[in-house]
Order: sequence, then C-alpha cells, then structure tokens
Amino acid sequence: MDFYLGLAQVIGVHTLLGLSAYCVLLTSQVSLAQAAFFAVGAYVAAILTVIFKWHLFAALGVSAVVSGLTACAVGFPALRVKGLMLVVATLAFGEAVRLFFFNFTYQIQAGELKIGPHGAEGFRQIRYFPEHGWSTFDVLVFIWLMVAIVMACLWWLDQSRAGAVMRAVGEDEVAAHSAGINVTAAKVSAMTIGGVIAGIGGGIFAHYTTHIEHAQFGVILATFAIAYPILGGLSNVFGTLLAVIFIQGFLIEGLRFLGDWRNLLFGALIVLAMNLRPRGFLDAGGIASLKRMLFAGKESSGA
Amino acid sequence: MDLLDLIDAVQSVADGLLFGSTYALLGIGFTLIFGVMHKINLSYAAASIGAAYGSLLLLSGFTAPAIVVFMAAALCGGVIGALVYFIGFKFIPVANPLATLMSTVGLLLLIDEIIVHTTQGVPLAYPALYSDVVVRLGPFMLRGDLMFVFVLGCACMVLFLLLLYRTRLGIATRAVSQQPVASQLCGISILQVNVLTFVVTGILGGIAGAMSGAAIGMLSPLLAQPLTVKGLIVTVIGGLGSIPGAIIAGLIVGGLESLFQFLRGVTERDLYIMMLLFAFLVFRPGGIFAKAPGRD
Repeated sequence: MDFYLGLAQVIGVHTLLGLSAYCVLLTSQVSLAQAAFFAVGAYVAAILTVIFKWHLFAALGVSAVVSGLTACAVGFPALRVKGLMLVVATLAFGEAVRLFFFNFTYQIQAGELKIGPHGAEGFRQIRYFPEHGWSTFDVLVFIWLMVAIVMACLWWLDQSRAGAVMRAVGEDEVAAHSAGINVTAAKVSAMTIGGVIAGIGGGIFAHYTTHIEHAQFGVILATFAIAYPILGGLSNVFGTLLAVIFIQGFLIEGLRFLGDWRNLLFGALIVLAMNLRPRGFLDAGGIASLKRMLFAGKESSGA
Repeated sequence: MDLLDLIDAVQSVADGLLFGSTYALLGIGFTLIFGVMHKINLSYAAASIGAAYGSLLLLSGFTAPAIVVFMAAALCGGVIGALVYFIGFKFIPVANPLATLMSTVGLLLLIDEIIVHTTQGVPLAYPALYSDVVVRLGPFMLRGDLMFVFVLGCACMVLFLLLLYRTRLGIATRAVSQQPVASQLCGISILQVNVLTFVVTGILGGIAGAMSGAAIGMLSPLLAQPLTVKGLIVTVIGGLGSIPGAIIAGLIVGGLESLFQFLRGVTERDLYIMMLLFAFLVFRPGGIFAKAPGRD
C-alpha cells in the first residue's frame, strides 16, 4: 500500500511541475528552466525548515515567492529572444542554477551532525514530516490538496480575461500586439506564475524525498516538465494531469516488469504519441467528442 | 599570475581551441537543421554519439585503422540522420513546432537508451590517430590527436561550405531555407532537400561524435547530454542560422571552457560558459554575426 501512496505523491508533485510549464506554454514559449525554479523552491524551502526551523507552510510560501521572483527576473532578459533561442537561453539558465547548487555549501552545526546543503553531496536530513508526526497518508492528502488548489486557480485563470490574453499571445503575437495587448507583460506574468507553481512543487518535493541534490534538477527533469503539458495537450489543465499519470504511473512504474526494455519503450512511446496525436492527448477535438459522449443522453432528450 | 601560470593558461586555451572544432561541427548541424526546417532537433548530439558507437559496432569484428572507424562513423551518422527525419519529423504537421520538439526529445531518450542497452552502459575506448605525436612549440605542446581532430574538423567545414555554396544541392537547401513555398514552385522537392539535409548533418554529426570520442579517448552515453547543451549554446552564440558564426563560436566556447577549467576547476567550468551565453543574449541577441533586421 505504501508503494501506491508513494506513487501518488510522485504523481502529485510532478503534476505541479507540469502545471508550471503548462502556464508558460500557454503563451507558446518553451521554457526549459522550470526544473531550475523547482530546484530553487526545493532548496529555499528545505533551508528554511531545516536550518531556521520555520513552519512548512511559511517556508513553502517563501519558496514560492523566491521562485516567482527568479522566474520574473529571468523572464525579462530571456523574452528578448524567441523560439530556439529561448529554449537554449532557458536551458542554459537551468544548467547554471544546477551548477550553482553543485557548488553551494551552507552548513551549520546541529548537535553532533552538520545540516544544510553541502555542494555535490546534496542536502540530506530534510526531516520535517517525520519530526512533526505526519504520516504518509497525511502528506499525500496535503500534496493533492495543493495540486487541487493550483489546478483550480489555473482553471479559473484560463476562463478569465487574463487566460484569454495569454492564449492570444500564444496564438499570434503580432496580432495580439496590434490588438493592444501588452505582450511582454503577458509573457513575464506567465513565466512568474509558472515560477511560483514550480517553487511550491519544489518545496514539497524536497520534504517528501528528504534528500535533494543538484543532479535531480538537470535537463531531464526540465524536458519532463514540458513533456507533460505537450503530451497532455494545451487546451486544458487536465491534459497535464493525464500525461503525468500516463508517464509516471504507466510508463515508469507500470512497465517496471519489462526491466531494461522499459527505458527503450519510453522514448519510443513519446515519439509515437507525438506522431499520432501531435496536439496532445486531450486536444480541443478530443474534448468535444468526450463531451458528446458524456452528455449524449441529455442532448437527445432535450431535442 | 606569474609566467609559468600564464604558459599553462595559454596551453589550456590551445587544447580547448583544438577540441572546440567538435563543438563547431555540432553547431553547424543544429544551425543547418534549424535553417532548413525551422525546427529544433534536440536528438542531434545523441545521434552523433550513436553514430560513433555504431562505427565501433560495425567494425567490432576486425581491427580497423582509426581512419576507417571515422569513415564508418560518418556513414552511420548519415543513416541515423535519415532515420531521425522519417521518425521524428516527416509525419508531424509543419505548423506544430512543439510536437516536433517533443518527438526529438523522445528520440534523444530512445537513442541514449539504445546505446546503454547494447553496451550495458560501459564506456568504450575509441581509437585516436597520432595519439603518440606531440608537437613542441617553445614552452607549449600540442597533442597530436587533438591536432588531428582539429584538422579533420576544419576539412569537414571547408567541404561542407563548398557543398553548400558550390553545388545544386547547396543552392536548393539555401532556397528552401529562405522561401519554402517559392522553391517548391520552382520545382525543388522539399522532401528530398529535407532528407538530404538530415543525411548531410548526420554525416557531420557522426564525424563530430567520432572526433569527440577520439579526443576524449572513450565513448560514453553520458556524453550526449553535455554535447547537446554545448552544441545549442554554440548555435546561439554564433547567431542562429549563421554557419561562420557557428564555427567561430565553437572554437571560442572550446577555448574558454578549457581556460575556465584551468582557472576555476571542473565543477565551475560550465557555469561561466552559461554566463557567457547570457551576456550574449542580453547584449547581442543575434549572436556574433547577427543578421540585419527586416529579413525573415
């Protein structure tokens, strides 16, 4: 049972990561820096709870703010470029952050052992949950509560005017600009919201794994972050959730019995999925047919 | 810094410049695919390493001289390039760059895993030419294998530039990269040009993979990711779509990387390369040879 609880925790945290990339992708920018914001959130939250003995919620709040500010600061110079240049710029930023934590040591003496991040060895002993008597189930509920809140906020944002502005910028920048939309503001705010979500996700990630190190936040995590929304489809927040369940639940855990072959299949399935459904699992057409299927009875009775 | 340190610093820059020809070739590959297709091929560096592995696999039965291994790598690179086009690009709508980006990420993971699967993840020794030759220039030494890599890289670039500016294929490629619709109306087959572009860049990539294998002395699937990052950085610093820019940026990145490694150690080395990239993005977003504004 614990295995499934753990899996559900992983899916929850990765959903937060995917949602942060979803938000940025809405304005059709590809950001490979989400793993970096995730790392910033993880380190900040963990340092606050471990070294300064803060409450978890306060630490998560601060980590969200710090990640959001980082994203905002990255947004301005990075948004001068588009397309491939932006991919490379954010990729390089992500790697720079990872290398910063690779060289980052800040430890204090607590009792007989030293605590705090220690360069290449990473950051051990993030024991907030066991110390405060949270069971695995409590943690799970907490994570999914956060996921639900973030998804609800994004859903609301999507329906609101701000979401329409973001999508307009994503669809056609020039047209959006000539319609009087402040393109830079839309892009930077999308980046900032993405940073905030990644910061929350990172903070939770640090606490349930109890050990973080620079290697976890590399290019692979960054590509996963954009893979979720792209595979899931950008028309809806639930696409991202679906893709995370598909990748983490089915491809990574469900196919474990295949042993070595699983990794081969993993890349191949992504390529296949993109060839068959280039707009993602849940595209606009798919949702329409899903609605028809679900509400078919109602429509026929009404007609 | 006294004289001895200065000599060491110059020495490391020289080594880095020689190795930088690998980055330059990778940068040309990225830039050419982007120029023709307006799409990013993130699997390119992995395919290059895959081609180098393929050459070892192809010639595993008998002991071949290193030059034959290099040619085999180029051959494998061409084949893998065509495969990458048909699997990751051909059937995905042109108007959907995100899907292509994702499919090349899938290919990157797939190629990496195929390498790990066939070799059990063990690094393999890669043959180098002239590895016992050392040229002494005053206080400096130039390693023979690095010099060979450099000369080979330069030869490939010259051949490639001749191909691009002196042959019909080159004209067609440049036409497609500028105006796909107009060139199609003039009777150029876009499919043919795209496939040939992938084959040519695959050959360049295969040679680049073999070169990095020879310069480092071994091949490892772990090389794919850093080479992808470096190749992309070179592409951007050189100015997207600019081939001379990619060449010069490759040499600059190689030289500076080696210098920073000498000055600040291996763990901080890449940090400074990233900062260099940021400096370029902020102060000169078009790269070294920025195109004049107003052209598409």
